Amino acid sequence: MWAVQRARAFLASSTTSSYSSSLSQSLKPWKLGFSGFKHVSSSSVIDGRRCEGLLDLPEIEKVLSDVRADDVKVMPVPKHCDWADFMVLATGRSTWHVKNIAQALIYKAKQKQRGAKRMMLPSVEGQEGGKWIVVDSGKVIVHALEEKARAYYNLEGLWNSETLEKEADLGNALVKIRRKNNSKKPAQRSA
Amino acid sequence: MIQPQTHLNVADNSGARELMCIRIIGTSNRRYAYIGDVIVAVIKEAVPNTPLERSEVIRAVIVRTCKELKRNNGMIIQYDDNAAVVIDQEGNPKGTRIFGAIARELRQLNFTKIVSLAPEVL
Repeated sequence: MWAVQRARAFLASSTTSSYSSSLSQSLKPWKLGFSGFKHVSSSSVIDGRRCEGLLDLPEIEKVLSDVRADDVKVMPVPKHCDWADFMVLATGRSTWHVKNIAQALIYKAKQKQRGAKRMMLPSVEGQEGGKWIVVDSGKVIVHALEEKARAYYNLEGLWNSETLEKEADLGNALVKIRRKNNSKKPAQRSA
Repeated sequence: MIQPQTHLNVADNSGARELMCIRIIGTSNRRYAYIGDVIVAVIKEAVPNTPLERSEVIRAVIVRTCKELKRNNGMIIQYDDNAAVVIDQEGNPKGTRIFGAIARELRQLNFTKIVSLAPEVL
Protein backbone atom coordinates (compact mmCIF):
# COMPACT_ATOMS: atom_id res chain seq x y z
CA MET A 1 0.00 0.00 0.00
CA TRP A 2 2.71 2.45 1.00
CA ALA A 3 4.81 1.52 -1.93
CA VAL A 4 1.93 2.16 -4.26
CA GLN A 5 1.28 5.55 -2.77
CA ARG A 6 4.92 6.48 -3.01
CA ALA A 7 5.05 5.39 -6.57
CA ARG A 8 1.97 7.43 -7.33
CA ALA A 9 3.40 10.48 -5.64
CA PHE A 10 6.58 10.13 -7.62
CA LEU A 11 4.71 9.68 -10.85
CA ALA A 12 2.57 12.69 -10.25
CA SER A 13 5.62 14.82 -9.61
CA SER A 14 7.51 13.47 -12.60
CA THR A 15 4.62 13.93 -14.97
CA THR A 16 3.92 17.46 -13.84
CA SER A 17 7.56 18.29 -14.40
CA SER A 18 7.48 16.70 -17.82
CA TYR A 19 4.35 18.65 -18.62
CA SER A 20 6.03 21.83 -17.61
CA SER A 21 9.03 21.04 -19.77
CA SER A 22 6.82 20.18 -22.72
CA LEU A 23 4.83 23.31 -22.11
CA SER A 24 7.95 25.41 -22.14
CA GLN A 25 8.98 23.73 -25.38
CA SER A 26 5.62 24.35 -26.94
CA LEU A 27 5.72 27.95 -25.84
CA LYS A 28 9.05 28.43 -27.56
CA PRO A 29 7.93 29.85 -30.88
CA TRP A 30 5.84 32.54 -29.27
CA LYS A 31 8.36 33.70 -26.74
CA LEU A 32 11.43 33.79 -28.88
CA GLY A 33 13.31 36.26 -26.75
CA PHE A 34 13.33 34.31 -23.52
CA SER A 35 12.79 30.82 -24.78
CA GLY A 36 16.34 29.53 -24.61
CA PHE A 37 16.94 30.70 -21.09
CA LYS A 38 13.61 29.45 -19.85
CA HIS A 39 14.02 26.04 -21.34
CA VAL A 40 17.48 25.53 -19.94
CA SER A 41 16.47 26.55 -16.45
CA SER A 42 13.43 24.30 -16.36
CA SER A 43 15.32 21.28 -17.63
CA SER A 44 18.14 21.72 -15.14
CA VAL A 45 15.65 21.89 -12.30
CA ILE A 46 14.08 18.68 -13.48
CA ASP A 47 17.42 16.94 -13.76
CA GLY A 48 18.38 18.02 -10.25
CA ARG A 49 15.19 16.61 -8.86
CA ARG A 50 15.60 13.34 -10.72
CA CYS A 51 19.20 12.73 -9.75
CA GLU A 52 18.44 12.71 -6.03
CA GLY A 53 16.36 9.60 -5.72
CA LEU A 54 16.15 7.59 -8.83
CA LEU A 55 18.55 5.18 -10.39
CA ASP A 56 20.82 6.29 -13.17
CA LEU A 57 22.31 4.31 -15.98
CA PRO A 58 25.62 3.04 -14.52
CA GLU A 59 23.89 1.89 -11.33
CA ILE A 60 21.28 0.01 -13.28
CA GLU A 61 23.94 -1.66 -15.40
CA LYS A 62 25.82 -2.70 -12.31
CA VAL A 63 22.72 -4.20 -10.69
CA LEU A 64 21.88 -6.06 -13.87
CA SER A 65 25.35 -7.54 -14.11
CA ASP A 66 25.20 -8.50 -10.42
CA VAL A 67 21.98 -10.48 -10.86
CA ARG A 68 23.37 -11.99 -14.05
CA ALA A 69 20.76 -10.74 -16.45
CA ASP A 70 21.53 -11.94 -19.95
CA ASP A 71 21.86 -9.87 -23.06
CA VAL A 72 21.62 -6.41 -21.51
CA LYS A 73 21.07 -3.73 -24.10
CA VAL A 74 20.94 0.01 -23.53
CA MET A 75 19.15 1.96 -26.22
CA PRO A 76 18.61 5.67 -26.55
CA VAL A 77 14.93 6.33 -27.06
CA PRO A 78 13.86 7.51 -30.51
CA LYS A 79 13.52 11.21 -30.90
CA HIS A 80 9.79 11.23 -31.36
CA CYS A 81 9.06 10.01 -27.84
CA ASP A 82 10.16 12.56 -25.33
CA TRP A 83 8.90 10.72 -22.28
CA ALA A 84 12.16 8.90 -21.52
CA ASP A 85 15.84 9.03 -22.38
CA PHE A 86 17.03 5.44 -22.25
CA MET A 87 15.49 2.01 -22.53
CA VAL A 88 17.37 -0.88 -20.95
CA LEU A 89 16.50 -4.39 -22.07
CA ALA A 90 17.46 -7.44 -20.03
CA THR A 91 16.60 -11.10 -20.37
CA GLY A 92 15.95 -13.49 -17.52
CA ARG A 93 16.17 -17.25 -17.74
CA SER A 94 12.88 -17.90 -15.97
CA THR A 95 9.97 -16.01 -14.48
CA TRP A 96 11.66 -16.18 -11.09
CA HIS A 97 14.84 -14.73 -12.51
CA VAL A 98 12.90 -11.89 -14.14
CA LYS A 99 11.14 -11.16 -10.85
CA ASN A 100 14.47 -11.15 -9.04
CA ILE A 101 15.90 -8.66 -11.51
CA ALA A 102 13.03 -6.30 -10.76
CA GLN A 103 13.40 -6.84 -7.01
CA ALA A 104 17.12 -6.10 -7.17
CA LEU A 105 16.45 -2.80 -8.93
CA ILE A 106 13.86 -1.77 -6.35
CA TYR A 107 16.20 -2.77 -3.52
CA LYS A 108 18.96 -0.68 -5.05
CA ALA A 109 16.64 2.32 -5.28
CA LYS A 110 15.73 1.88 -1.62
CA GLN A 111 19.36 1.55 -0.56
CA LYS A 112 20.31 4.64 -2.48
CA GLN A 113 17.92 6.88 -0.57
CA ARG A 114 18.16 5.32 2.87
CA GLY A 115 17.46 7.85 5.57
CA ALA A 116 15.68 10.20 3.23
CA LYS A 117 12.54 11.81 4.56
CA ARG A 118 10.49 10.81 1.56
CA MET A 119 11.47 7.87 -0.57
CA MET A 120 10.78 7.82 -4.25
CA LEU A 121 10.39 4.34 -5.62
CA PRO A 122 10.24 3.41 -9.28
CA SER A 123 6.87 2.22 -10.44
CA VAL A 124 6.83 -1.42 -11.42
CA GLU A 125 4.45 -3.08 -13.82
CA GLY A 126 3.80 -6.76 -14.39
CA GLN A 127 5.38 -8.16 -11.25
CA GLU A 128 2.83 -10.94 -10.75
CA GLY A 129 3.35 -12.55 -14.11
CA GLY A 130 7.08 -12.36 -14.47
CA LYS A 131 6.98 -12.55 -18.25
CA TRP A 132 7.66 -8.89 -18.82
CA ILE A 133 8.40 -6.50 -15.96
CA VAL A 134 8.88 -2.79 -16.55
CA VAL A 135 10.71 -0.76 -13.90
CA ASP A 136 10.01 2.86 -14.70
CA SER A 137 12.53 5.04 -12.89
CA GLY A 138 11.89 8.38 -14.50
CA LYS A 139 14.10 8.94 -17.48
CA VAL A 140 15.52 5.41 -17.61
CA ILE A 141 13.12 2.56 -18.20
CA VAL A 142 14.20 -1.02 -17.58
CA HIS A 143 12.43 -3.86 -19.34
CA ALA A 144 13.13 -7.28 -17.87
CA LEU A 145 11.75 -9.98 -20.15
CA GLU A 146 11.70 -13.72 -20.28
CA GLU A 147 13.42 -15.21 -23.31
CA LYS A 148 10.19 -16.14 -25.10
CA ALA A 149 8.59 -12.79 -24.38
CA ARG A 150 11.64 -11.00 -25.69
CA ALA A 151 11.51 -12.91 -28.92
CA TYR A 152 7.75 -12.34 -29.19
CA TYR A 153 7.69 -8.60 -28.64
CA ASN A 154 10.99 -7.90 -30.42
CA LEU A 155 11.45 -4.50 -28.80
CA GLU A 156 14.88 -3.90 -30.35
CA GLY A 157 13.38 -4.29 -33.80
CA LEU A 158 10.64 -1.82 -32.96
CA TRP A 159 12.93 0.91 -31.72
CA ASN A 160 15.76 0.39 -34.20
CA SER A 161 14.01 -0.04 -37.51
CA GLU A 162 11.35 2.55 -36.91
CA THR A 163 13.72 5.34 -36.07
CA LEU A 164 16.01 4.51 -38.95
CA GLU A 165 13.17 4.41 -41.44
CA LYS A 166 11.66 7.61 -40.22
CA GLU A 167 14.91 9.50 -40.34
CA ALA A 168 15.67 8.17 -43.80
CA ASP A 169 12.22 9.21 -45.01
CA LEU A 170 12.66 12.66 -43.60
CA GLY A 171 16.04 12.95 -45.29
CA ASN A 172 14.57 11.98 -48.64
CA ALA A 173 11.68 14.34 -48.24
CA LEU A 174 13.94 17.31 -47.70
CA VAL A 175 16.27 16.61 -50.62
CA LYS A 176 15.25 18.29 -53.83
CA ILE A 177 15.11 15.90 -56.76
CA ARG A 178 14.65 16.92 -60.36
CA ARG A 179 11.75 15.01 -61.85
CA LYS A 180 12.46 12.69 -64.72
CA ASN A 181 10.71 13.29 -67.98
CA ASN A 182 9.30 9.91 -68.99
CA SER A 183 7.00 11.07 -71.75
CA LYS A 184 7.68 9.84 -75.26
CA LYS A 185 6.67 13.12 -76.85
CA PRO A 186 9.46 15.31 -78.10
CA ALA A 187 10.05 18.21 -75.83
CA GLN A 188 8.22 21.32 -76.92
CA ARG A 189 10.43 24.19 -77.72
CA SER A 190 8.98 27.50 -76.78
CA ALA A 191 10.80 29.79 -79.10
CA MET B 1 -17.26 7.76 -22.63
CA ILE B 2 -17.33 4.02 -23.11
CA GLN B 3 -20.21 2.06 -21.67
CA PRO B 4 -21.47 -1.46 -22.20
CA GLN B 5 -22.57 -2.00 -25.82
CA THR B 6 -20.09 0.58 -27.15
CA HIS B 7 -18.16 -0.64 -30.17
CA LEU B 8 -14.41 0.13 -30.24
CA ASN B 9 -11.64 -0.17 -32.79
CA VAL B 10 -8.55 -2.16 -31.95
CA ALA B 11 -5.26 -0.24 -31.93
CA ASP B 12 -2.84 -3.18 -32.10
CA ASN B 13 -1.92 -6.18 -34.24
CA SER B 14 -3.48 -8.78 -31.95
CA GLY B 15 -5.87 -9.91 -34.68
CA ALA B 16 -9.12 -8.45 -33.38
CA ARG B 17 -10.69 -5.70 -35.45
CA GLU B 18 -13.69 -4.56 -33.50
CA LEU B 19 -14.67 -4.93 -29.86
CA MET B 20 -17.84 -4.36 -27.94
CA CYS B 21 -17.58 -3.30 -24.31
CA ILE B 22 -19.59 -5.45 -21.93
CA ARG B 23 -18.27 -4.38 -18.53
CA ILE B 24 -15.97 -1.82 -16.93
CA ILE B 25 -13.46 -3.35 -14.50
CA GLY B 26 -12.89 -2.01 -11.01
CA THR B 27 -16.25 -0.34 -10.63
CA SER B 28 -19.59 -1.40 -9.34
CA ASN B 29 -21.84 1.42 -10.28
CA ARG B 30 -19.99 3.63 -12.70
CA ARG B 31 -21.51 4.67 -15.94
CA TYR B 32 -18.61 5.42 -18.27
CA ALA B 33 -15.02 4.38 -18.90
CA TYR B 34 -12.35 6.80 -20.13
CA ILE B 35 -8.75 6.60 -21.32
CA GLY B 36 -6.73 4.19 -19.18
CA ASP B 37 -9.68 2.17 -17.90
CA VAL B 38 -9.76 -1.60 -18.31
CA ILE B 39 -12.88 -3.06 -19.83
CA VAL B 40 -14.18 -6.53 -20.57
CA ALA B 41 -15.08 -6.79 -24.21
CA VAL B 42 -16.32 -9.21 -26.84
CA ILE B 43 -14.57 -9.52 -30.16
CA LYS B 44 -17.12 -8.63 -32.80
CA GLU B 45 -14.85 -8.91 -35.80
CA ALA B 46 -11.47 -10.58 -36.13
CA VAL B 47 -8.82 -11.04 -38.80
CA PRO B 48 -8.94 -14.62 -40.14
CA ASN B 49 -6.23 -17.11 -39.09
CA THR B 50 -5.23 -15.31 -35.89
CA PRO B 51 -5.24 -16.62 -32.32
CA LEU B 52 -8.17 -14.38 -31.39
CA GLU B 53 -11.58 -15.30 -32.71
CA ARG B 54 -14.97 -13.72 -33.03
CA SER B 55 -17.18 -13.78 -29.93
CA GLU B 56 -14.25 -14.35 -27.60
CA VAL B 57 -14.31 -12.46 -24.28
CA ILE B 58 -11.12 -10.51 -23.56
CA ARG B 59 -9.84 -7.59 -21.53
CA ALA B 60 -8.76 -4.34 -23.13
CA VAL B 61 -7.36 -0.94 -22.13
CA ILE B 62 -8.97 2.12 -23.63
CA VAL B 63 -6.35 4.25 -25.39
CA ARG B 64 -8.38 6.72 -27.44
CA THR B 65 -11.79 8.22 -26.89
CA CYS B 66 -13.96 10.61 -28.84
CA LYS B 67 -14.79 12.24 -25.53
CA GLU B 68 -12.18 14.85 -24.86
CA LEU B 69 -9.46 14.31 -22.26
CA LYS B 70 -8.59 17.38 -20.19
CA ARG B 71 -5.20 18.00 -18.65
CA ASN B 72 -4.38 20.27 -15.76
CA ASN B 73 -2.49 22.68 -17.99
CA GLY B 74 -5.59 23.34 -20.08
CA MET B 75 -4.71 21.03 -22.93
CA ILE B 76 -7.61 19.08 -24.39
CA ILE B 77 -7.07 15.89 -26.38
CA GLN B 78 -9.84 14.47 -28.49
CA TYR B 79 -9.50 11.60 -30.95
CA ASP B 80 -11.69 10.72 -33.88
CA ASP B 81 -12.35 7.16 -32.74
CA ASN B 82 -12.76 4.99 -29.70
CA ALA B 83 -9.89 2.51 -29.60
CA ALA B 84 -8.58 -0.10 -27.18
CA VAL B 85 -5.57 -2.41 -26.84
CA VAL B 86 -6.17 -6.09 -26.05
CA ILE B 87 -4.41 -7.30 -22.89
CA ASP B 88 -4.36 -10.55 -20.95
CA GLN B 89 -5.07 -11.08 -17.27
CA GLU B 90 -1.52 -10.12 -16.27
CA GLY B 91 -1.61 -6.87 -18.20
CA ASN B 92 0.67 -7.89 -21.04
CA PRO B 93 -0.53 -6.73 -24.44
CA LYS B 94 -1.63 -9.53 -26.78
CA GLY B 95 -0.31 -7.79 -29.86
CA THR B 96 3.29 -6.80 -30.38
CA ARG B 97 2.78 -3.44 -32.09
CA ILE B 98 0.46 -0.56 -31.40
CA PHE B 99 -0.91 1.85 -33.97
CA GLY B 100 -1.78 5.49 -33.67
CA ALA B 101 -1.16 8.14 -31.06
CA ILE B 102 -1.37 7.31 -27.37
CA ALA B 103 -1.91 9.71 -24.46
CA ARG B 104 0.79 10.17 -21.84
CA GLU B 105 -1.72 9.52 -19.06
CA LEU B 106 -1.40 5.79 -19.67
CA ARG B 107 2.08 5.86 -18.17
CA GLN B 108 0.78 7.33 -14.92
CA LEU B 109 -1.87 4.64 -14.81
CA ASN B 110 0.85 1.98 -15.00
CA PHE B 111 0.48 0.91 -18.60
CA THR B 112 4.12 1.61 -19.40
CA LYS B 113 4.27 -1.44 -21.64
CA ILE B 114 1.65 -0.05 -23.96
CA VAL B 115 3.30 3.37 -23.96
CA SER B 116 6.69 1.88 -24.79
CA LEU B 117 5.24 0.00 -27.78
CA ALA B 118 3.40 3.03 -29.11
CA PRO B 119 4.74 4.88 -32.14
CA GLU B 120 3.70 8.28 -30.86
CA VAL B 121 3.01 9.59 -27.37
CA LEU B 122 0.96 12.75 -26.98
